[in-house]
Amino acid sequence: MLDLVFWAPVMAGGALAGASSGVLGTFILGMRIPFLGICVAHAALAGAVFGGLCGLEGHQLLWPALAGAMLTALALGLVNPQRAHLDDNTVLSFLFSATMGLAFLGIGLYGILGKSDNDVRSLLWGSLNFCRWSDVRLMLGAFAALAAYVVVFFKELRAILFSRADAEAAGIRATAVWTGFLILTAATLTVNFQTVGGLMIYSLICNPAAAAFQLARGCRRVLMLSAAFGAVSGLGGFLIAAFTDLPSGAVIVLLSSALVGLAALIRRLMRHSP
Amino acid sequence: MTPAAWELRAVTVQAGHRCLLDILHLRAEVSSVVALMGPNGAGKTTLLRACLGLATPTRGDITVLGETLRTLGGPALARLRRRIGYVPQLLPARSELPLTVREVVAVGRTARAGLFRRLSRQDWQIVDQWLDRLDLVALANRAFSQVSGGEQRKTIIARAMAQDPELLLLDEPTANLDLGWRERIVETIETLHAQTRISVLLVCHELEVLPPACRHVILIESGRVSATGSPEAVFTAERVRRLYGAALRTVHQEGRHAVVPGGASHA
Repeated sequence: MLDLVFWAPVMAGGALAGASSGVLGTFILGMRIPFLGICVAHAALAGAVFGGLCGLEGHQLLWPALAGAMLTALALGLVNPQRAHLDDNTVLSFLFSATMGLAFLGIGLYGILGKSDNDVRSLLWGSLNFCRWSDVRLMLGAFAALAAYVVVFFKELRAILFSRADAEAAGIRATAVWTGFLILTAATLTVNFQTVGGLMIYSLICNPAAAAFQLARGCRRVLMLSAAFGAVSGLGGFLIAAFTDLPSGAVIVLLSSALVGLAALIRRLMRHSP
Repeated sequence: MTPAAWELRAVTVQAGHRCLLDILHLRAEVSSVVALMGPNGAGKTTLLRACLGLATPTRGDITVLGETLRTLGGPALARLRRRIGYVPQLLPARSELPLTVREVVAVGRTARAGLFRRLSRQDWQIVDQWLDRLDLVALANRAFSQVSGGEQRKTIIARAMAQDPELLLLDEPTANLDLGWRERIVETIETLHAQTRISVLLVCHELEVLPPACRHVILIESGRVSATGSPEAVFTAERVRRLYGAALRTVHQEGRHAVVPGGASHA
């Protein structure tokens, strides 16, 4: 039997991380920049690493991690792909290389200075089973800010999702709205990293949205379904892992992957039904 | 003098040291349908993008709907763009695109509605009106990524028109379409102009794409204007032969134009 008092924040954290990643995934996968999650994870890691080198530790590392992730998001948002003659993914690759290089340079310096890098490494891998109510409150705050932004700028984000260049040409303030969204994305992901880790976030961004794209039409429906699939992956994965005594991170990733397969199968059956 | 829909004075657009566009003077009246023609890489799309403020001239002035682009800041340029409907040459073709045809047309109302406001019932009525006028009602709830190329083109034209624009910029609106769809798009442009008297600037490669309302053609070669006038005056047999290097003749009939193999031009 599960000790609900102990595991409730873990379940809430898993569901929240899944739901917020599902919302983000609709736009991130729709814009074909799934690599953003990994890029932001390394930018946050680089921030945390240098924060640690400056003497910060434990929960204090969240602030430099946030700064690193948000600066990277700002750079990505402000680069106009048409003016720079670069695809978003090319810009992401450059930012990923730079932030990863910085992070590993910093980790190397820990060794030279004889300091422990355990705190910063846990940011990249996360630890869902150690999620506490203080973490859940942070995740809830980030999710609420993200949801409010998506509701307020829904029609602009929908236009950008269709084509950022066309949105700009139609007189929509696409760069401002998209940059704001990317900064909130960076903040939400960084807060979630502590709980689920940068690598699991990648699956939770891509898989729920990919499953929703198979089953729903219309931006609003896809958004809701993707958030629901994300929450189901986070919560369901944890419950399956708890009852089978398997590693929760792996089960969450596998469940979200299974949802994509199931959605593709349902879509295929719906197409062939009279 | 009648007011200008758009005007270029001594405009040069460069990419590094390469000159993309070098225009002494071009002007189109309000409510006119003007076609911009010429070989690949002549500078047609650059001119269109310059009119939208998406390509910045290194010198000269561009005036669109009474506004001189050089003097406009970001917000003023965005306001001007809301008065211009733009149909780009390349359409988004991602299979992950979750938008329905109706949602894509609604993108045309987005900037008009303004930030912090949802689309009103009136905005959606305008969207539905354009779906109806362009015969897209049956496709309204289909995914944009899953309708045919011709239907996608019509959707993008409906999106541009839902903006309630004063100027419509069409960049090769019949690219990659079969003959049937090409004719439907030409008819659509002709009908839209007849119904709304909107100013149109049309970029195309083929004479067959010119609607009867188009009485002004600008021929561009290597970034410079090489001829302007009516389609009959610009596309003489000699010029067509020089441009395309083949034995071709032009046929001009009932306001429509075509290029066919062999002999001299026919009126």
